[in-house]
Amino acid sequence: MARAAKIFQVSIKNNGQVISCAADETILHAAIVAGIDYPYACASGNCGTCISQLDAGKVTMLPRGDAAISAAQVKAGQTLACRARPKGDVAITWLGRGRR
Amino acid sequence: MASSIADQRARACCTLLTQVHAITDKEGITPSALHAIKLKLVALAAKAHLFPPGDFAMPVAQGRTHPLLVEENDGHGLYLTINLPGKEAAPHDHGIWCVNAGISGRERHVFYRRTDDGGTRGSATVMRVGEVMVEPGCGMAMADHDIHSTEVIGKEPAIGLALYGYALARFPAVAWFHTEFSSMRVCSSRRHAAAAA
Repeated sequence: MARAAKIFQVSIKNNGQVISCAADETILHAAIVAGIDYPYACASGNCGTCISQLDAGKVTMLPRGDAAISAAQVKAGQTLACRARPKGDVAITWLGRGRR
Repeated sequence: MASSIADQRARACCTLLTQVHAITDKEGITPSALHAIKLKLVALAAKAHLFPPGDFAMPVAQGRTHPLLVEENDGHGLYLTINLPGKEAAPHDHGIWCVNAGISGRERHVFYRRTDDGGTRGSATVMRVGEVMVEPGCGMAMADHDIHSTEVIGKEPAIGLALYGYALARFPAVAWFHTEFSSMRVCSSRRHAAAAA
């Protein structure tokens, strides 16, 4: 039987909400499921709309395009919520405002 | 004196776009025109010696686009794309026609049809209607508002050619569709910013 993924707490600074996010789930997915209006567009690592500042904690990143986030941005602690899976409890702030 | 690979490539790209304009000048952007353009692009992609890996940097992350020939103003954009295993793109349209052809590796393109009436902002539903594997000898063509998703298949990078009706820097709004949430989100058009630059 497959072991259930660990569940971590993600604190979203823009609205003060704390949500649960599985280790095999992206932060964006967990936020949408929780009913949060997190900015996004492609949700697949191509557009950069969900670019966010990782204020605390660590994430692993799913594959993404170079144009969505630069190496310098990653080095500065930014991430893509649609590609980021938590490695532990995380605090994050979205930086943009998507358009519908 | 033999010309360099870069010179040969540049000439081949110019020839392709001349052929593309000849097709579209004659019949406009129709399904048959896009099919004819696809065949031309597949033929160019088959000349793999013109696109040696050493001439194109690999992605820093998992996906990178190299311009080959970008026409001025509202002209076309021809690019070489490199996507590594696992790289994907959710269902989207480009707002402009697009043709792809494979040089090496495999990229699955799944096509969708929108099934809602577009009446609710931010919401949309789509239905899967087909798929094509873009790999050496194969390509795909999409009209302005056709919807596709992409995913690199296998363990090799998918390297290919992509020709768009407009250059990437002058793209119209791109709409992204998410089946799990029945949502649609739009990336802003780049056309006003490009025109002002």
